[in-house]
Amino acid sequence: MENEKAARNKKIKHALMIIVLTILFIAFVFPFIMVIMNVFKVKSDITANPLALIGRHGFTLENFPNAIKKMNFFRSFGNSLVVTIFSTIGTIILSSMTAYLIVRNNWKANKILFVTMIASMVIPFQVLMVPLVSLYGGIFGILNHRITLIFMHIGFSLSMATFMFHGSIHTNVPISLEEAATIDGCNKWQIFSQIVFPILKPTIATVAIIDAMAFWNDYLLPSLVLGRKELYTIPIATKVFYGTYSTDTGLIMAALLLAMLPILVLYLFLQRYIVEGITAGAVK
Amino acid sequence: MKKKLLSLLVVATMSASFVACGNGGSDSNGSGSGVSITILNSKTEIQTQFEEMAEAYEDATGVHVEVYNADTDTTVASQVATKYASNDPYTLTMVDAKDIYSLADDYAYDLSNEDWVSHTNLGITVNDKLAGFPFCVEARGVLYNADAIEAITGETFDPSSVATLDDFKALLDELKAGGMEQPVGVLSEYWSLGAHYFAEVYEQQEDPDAFVNSLLAGEADLGSNEKFNELMDTFDTLIAYNYAKGSAANADREETSMKLAEGEIAFMFGGNWDWSVINQYDYTENMGIMPVPENTSDDTNTKLVGGGSKYIFVDSSDATSDEQRQAALDFLNWLVSDPEGNAFLTEQCALVPAFDNIDASALDPLSLSVKSYADAGKLIPNYNYLPDDHMTVVGQEIMQKYLDEAMSRDELVKEVETYFKSATPIEH
Amino acid sequence: MKTNTMSYKLKQYLLFAGVSTVIFACVVIIPFIYGLYLTFTSWDGVSRVKPFVGVENYVNAFADSGYWVSLGRTFIYSAIAVILVNAVAFIIAYMVTSGIKGQNFFRAGFFVPNLIGGIVLGYVWKFVFNKALVELASTISSGNAKSLLATESGAIAALIIVSVWQYAGYMMLIYVAGFMSVSEDVIEAAKIDGCTGSQSIIHISIPLMTASFVQCLFLTITRCFMVYDVNLSLTNGDPYGSSALAAMHVYNQAFINKNYGTGQAEALILFIICAVIGGLQVYVGKKGEVQA
Repeated sequence: MENEKAARNKKIKHALMIIVLTILFIAFVFPFIMVIMNVFKVKSDITANPLALIGRHGFTLENFPNAIKKMNFFRSFGNSLVVTIFSTIGTIILSSMTAYLIVRNNWKANKILFVTMIASMVIPFQVLMVPLVSLYGGIFGILNHRITLIFMHIGFSLSMATFMFHGSIHTNVPISLEEAATIDGCNKWQIFSQIVFPILKPTIATVAIIDAMAFWNDYLLPSLVLGRKELYTIPIATKVFYGTYSTDTGLIMAALLLAMLPILVLYLFLQRYIVEGITAGAVK
Repeated sequence: MKKKLLSLLVVATMSASFVACGNGGSDSNGSGSGVSITILNSKTEIQTQFEEMAEAYEDATGVHVEVYNADTDTTVASQVATKYASNDPYTLTMVDAKDIYSLADDYAYDLSNEDWVSHTNLGITVNDKLAGFPFCVEARGVLYNADAIEAITGETFDPSSVATLDDFKALLDELKAGGMEQPVGVLSEYWSLGAHYFAEVYEQQEDPDAFVNSLLAGEADLGSNEKFNELMDTFDTLIAYNYAKGSAANADREETSMKLAEGEIAFMFGGNWDWSVINQYDYTENMGIMPVPENTSDDTNTKLVGGGSKYIFVDSSDATSDEQRQAALDFLNWLVSDPEGNAFLTEQCALVPAFDNIDASALDPLSLSVKSYADAGKLIPNYNYLPDDHMTVVGQEIMQKYLDEAMSRDELVKEVETYFKSATPIEH
Repeated sequence: MKTNTMSYKLKQYLLFAGVSTVIFACVVIIPFIYGLYLTFTSWDGVSRVKPFVGVENYVNAFADSGYWVSLGRTFIYSAIAVILVNAVAFIIAYMVTSGIKGQNFFRAGFFVPNLIGGIVLGYVWKFVFNKALVELASTISSGNAKSLLATESGAIAALIIVSVWQYAGYMMLIYVAGFMSVSEDVIEAAKIDGCTGSQSIIHISIPLMTASFVQCLFLTITRCFMVYDVNLSLTNGDPYGSSALAAMHVYNQAFINKNYGTGQAEALILFIICAVIGGLQVYVGKKGEVQA
């Protein structure tokens, strides 16, 4: 009896939850629905009635080829890909190593580094913007290279990633495991690369997703570093559409969708991995 | 794992340096034999035409012109500033008049020996240096859709018949009675309110400079100034007949332009640049620009406000080679003296040319209006020395509030006067 | 192995954090110091000369009433947004870890808003608020509906809504990881001891998830305080400058009004306030963690 009642309660509770989640979910995807609804319309129809399924001028696909051409989509895509991949890999490797050092060694230098990193997370980017271009463009003259952007991306994301790895190593990596490895004759580097790094998988996945997205979507920094057209990333290319005097809404919708699609696909792929990773990490 | 990690790192560094190398190659002046120059286009509505022209220009001359579109989320001035801070300036930069004054001393090349100088008096000279090449002529006033008006009144619309506010009001009431619920649109953008409409308060003074200076000194009595009150009376009328009344501060530019193009409203305050928005919709050719109606004793209600607009300067810094500079100068000459260059300005971009040798008979209706006023000498010149934050403070914080009827005229006077007392004057 | 000699420490440091330190210093610290220097000059952001003016910019910053108004606005916006973001994120995280059908789908779905960049996202929402919702409201009430963005409090509310929409999915992910790190055994044990579902959340899960809370709060607080791109593309300060938050005021001061030094000084004050609040919150959070 008791069990049956509990099971029924659970069922009701779950049903309620699904309803609440579904409503929230619709609210969350509403803007995307709006984009998709309007991407197949011409501009004047969008201005006239954004909610109509099909505009006065009918269904159109012309926004896509136009957007692809104007954005130089494939070149931008390649640039975004190169920058995102290398920045993400660099960030993960460097920040996990740094976090490991900080968690396991209570040195003054580490404390200073960590506090500085945390403090730097609240520096508004606008504060660094002009000094950054003055230094690297005006003095060293190394702007307009993708590697400069990768270098800067890593620099800006290190703090946050180190912070996340710090928390994860702190709570998820049992020190006893490392002590055992030390007794077996492992040095610190071996311990890190063979024991700690693999345990960090869920955090790596999380950091990878979050940073990859941040890099993929970042506009301000790339626009300052990559001033040449052949180096444009997708967000910079998307921006080409926004004009003070002619905002071609239909084109923008298409560009938006194109810009989101690759990261959406990547996310769907990594999402499974992240859930598995978290579960594995939790069971230990 | 260690090996994996290491090899990953190696691959990462190697590919990264490969990428950097590959990039280094393509970075240097692309097209081999030819020179490569860059231009910042701050008239973003003609970006497409500009790019097409650049391709044709390269085919004809071998000079590669790369056209960059100004970022619309920030001011052109700040974009140019970051380019100079990073020592990576454009060869040619198109900016507003006031930017020429701040940039010319340090970065502009003297253009006074160019061939086109004799064809215009609209260039900007700073400290004896001709720094700004005038790209086009633009003017502001009230845009009208004559079709929409004539459909109700049944007579041919003559803009000079509504030069006074009283006549204008009478026509608005007639339109209203004839079924057009709200015949007016007012753009809510701060540049339109601050730099275009309210700026006329200074520009229509007999001596704009003296008037602005007296405001800056805290001596002017704005509330009893005749021009101010005349223009604000008209603005009150625009507010009263605004289709977006109630949420006027949030009116959408696209929507307002569409309503004007399709005749849902008959009037909108704006300029000839609005054509590129209007022609996206089901527009009529029977449109034009007329002076802002005013009950006034002077003749300002027979004139538009405008003149040279958007100026190009050639970079004089070491970041630009002499070869590039020459190519830039050649390009400006080509715009003025080559039929292809002329066609680019007047036909492809539909701009009113700033040079008297260029034929401009095939312009759009708004530009034709502007040209007829310009040719008749009926343009009140732009005032280019308003403080830098005038647009955001007076345009956004004050005029937008007034437009939304959340501020009285007395309050507006007080706020504008207070603003000017602490504003930083522009040296000129 | 001697682990407390200076040379051992140095080697370890260089091995694990050497590259990071160099990159971090080059990209963040050195430009920051250079920027600090610029606050003592009256540079306009363009000209070649950068005249030294001492603390004048700081005097101007303290006298700039618009700055303090925007800062006050930022406090109100941040307080509400931080609470709502975390509440929504926590509730969603709880629901998608309770073993219901399709929880993976929901986890993926709620994270989707994070996939698009701030500028673009602001434009999409502007379109939604000004067009779609107005159209929807007019159809329902058959009157002329006003956009939320057209009123002073409405614009701030819109910013909050978009912030919740944007950040909740991200924070949810951190809370999900937190929920999953609370071992099943502990919850099972609590159940056997007679804990109800909500009791086990309040008394077991939440205390064990302190680290997640610290992390999420820190992230939301700092992000809300520095929000710029959404502010720019969604409201741009409209109506009449009433929705300009601190970062936007700073940006306009530096680049539109060309008071670069003053803008930079104001940004620095914003940074200090932000750092103090963020630091305090982490400090208090860590204290709580020890007790739990």
